[in-house]
Amino acid sequence: MKEGLFHIPDSSTDEAYLIGSKCRVCGYVAFPKKVICPACVRDDTMEEAPIGKKANIASFALMGQAPKGFTAPYFQAMVRLEEGITIATTLTDCELKEDAVEMGQPVELVITKIKVDDQGNDIIAWKYRPLTKK
Amino acid sequence: MREVAIIGVGMHKFGKFPNESLKDLGRVAVWNAIHDANIEAHDIQTAYVGNAGAGLLTGQECVRGQVILNDACIFSVPVTNVEGACASGLIALREAWIAVGSGMYDVALALGVEKMYIDDTAKVLQVLGAGTDMESVGSIGYQFSGGYAQGIQQNMRRYGWTREDLALVAVKNKYNGARNPYAQFQKETTVEEVLNSRVVAYPVTIFMTAPIGDGAAAAIICPKEMASKFTSKPPIIIKAMAMHSPGFRDYRLPPREPDTTKREVSSLSAREAYETVGIGPDDVELAEVHDAMTPAELSTYASLGFCKPGEGNILVREGRTSLTGDIPVNTSGGLSARGHPIGATGLAQAAEIVWQLRGEAGPRQIPGKSGKGPRIGLIENNGGTVGSGAAVSTVSIFMRD
Repeated sequence: MKEGLFHIPDSSTDEAYLIGSKCRVCGYVAFPKKVICPACVRDDTMEEAPIGKKANIASFALMGQAPKGFTAPYFQAMVRLEEGITIATTLTDCELKEDAVEMGQPVELVITKIKVDDQGNDIIAWKYRPLTKK
Repeated sequence: MREVAIIGVGMHKFGKFPNESLKDLGRVAVWNAIHDANIEAHDIQTAYVGNAGAGLLTGQECVRGQVILNDACIFSVPVTNVEGACASGLIALREAWIAVGSGMYDVALALGVEKMYIDDTAKVLQVLGAGTDMESVGSIGYQFSGGYAQGIQQNMRRYGWTREDLALVAVKNKYNGARNPYAQFQKETTVEEVLNSRVVAYPVTIFMTAPIGDGAAAAIICPKEMASKFTSKPPIIIKAMAMHSPGFRDYRLPPREPDTTKREVSSLSAREAYETVGIGPDDVELAEVHDAMTPAELSTYASLGFCKPGEGNILVREGRTSLTGDIPVNTSGGLSARGHPIGATGLAQAAEIVWQLRGEAGPRQIPGKSGKGPRIGLIENNGGTVGSGAAVSTVSIFMRD
């Protein structure tokens, strides 16, 4: 993965977050971070922002087959970050059956191994861990 | 813009062809189109080639079109490669249409070609992920089948669509594919069989998905006035090819609520195409739509204005989109039955509309509203996902002169 997408905690008190950006004029939040605010369409208003620690499940699908580097079954999901935007992710630390998660369920960010690349290296990125059902 | 006619179409059968290369697939489609148009190869003055995955799947990253067309002996013409994931084929045709419409060239070739079967499903699924932003979507496990499944689940909850409704679309399209000699699957199926097949991403089962396969499709176009110089077949006029890359939508706006008070064309490309031609959804006599997961057809009906949002299931239950219905959809079998070698799909859809409008569709020929064969056909073809929607959305309208 490219650098600058997420922060890996470096101590027990440090928290993981995604590196997004926020427009200081209109408040638009983007992930990955953007230089140009898509709402204002200007290039001098976006500022880096730590986002995505908490979210809830907007939609999900239990995948029966996996692309290279991933293992089926796994949950693919769209999660709505507390900052408002919806991003694509996979879920972790939950049962792999259809009714294990539900829409609206709170989830928290985990920076962890998501797949193995073509050379067999572990690739680290974001996943979300379901918390108690709503 | 001059009026432009399609005078020839050709395909290489869709399916798994381990012993055929990109060149073999492309050559067959191109020469079938040349013979269909009754032109000589040297009549072609410019060419556009649509392909999506050859770089990652075969290693032919650069000069794809040039390699294929050199093998097909289409020499000394400008060859332009275009890419737009699953919409690559129609983008090629659209560029050719603009080139001829502008007056720059008289005879143009558009080819869509894809070699996907490499006996490694996981690798192909990885490559399909490249139809998204690889930085934040394609590389983290996102699959289109899962994306479609999430949208379909939402519609089942919102509109009360049943699993049987979803299966009915697959049954209809497999029935049509069984009557198409170019289709990858030529076998009918049943609701039971569809629902009992392996779950890919609930509620989508393997019988509802487009298969991995190889194939090619091509079209030859010229100014309408010139068509009779080459062929005695009725020229099929390209009336509109609307294309958008929708992209940005502000998440702070209220979610799009479908307008249920009137028949609404919700796709920007569809609205533009209808306005360009000066017709409405009621005038369309058949459509080829992008059913990479067949149940997606149900929402496409509404996007195109064939029904109100959420009522797509009623159309399919009543058989209105079957071969014998008033608005047959995916007479070719669609992506799930005809197959979906992604860069070839748009031109295969175009070929089907041309055959239907000419009355050449054999056992799947529809009578049209007049009973004397259809005159107006529509194609919806889209590719990839970027931002809040399709990376490329196209709607085209063809008309028999």
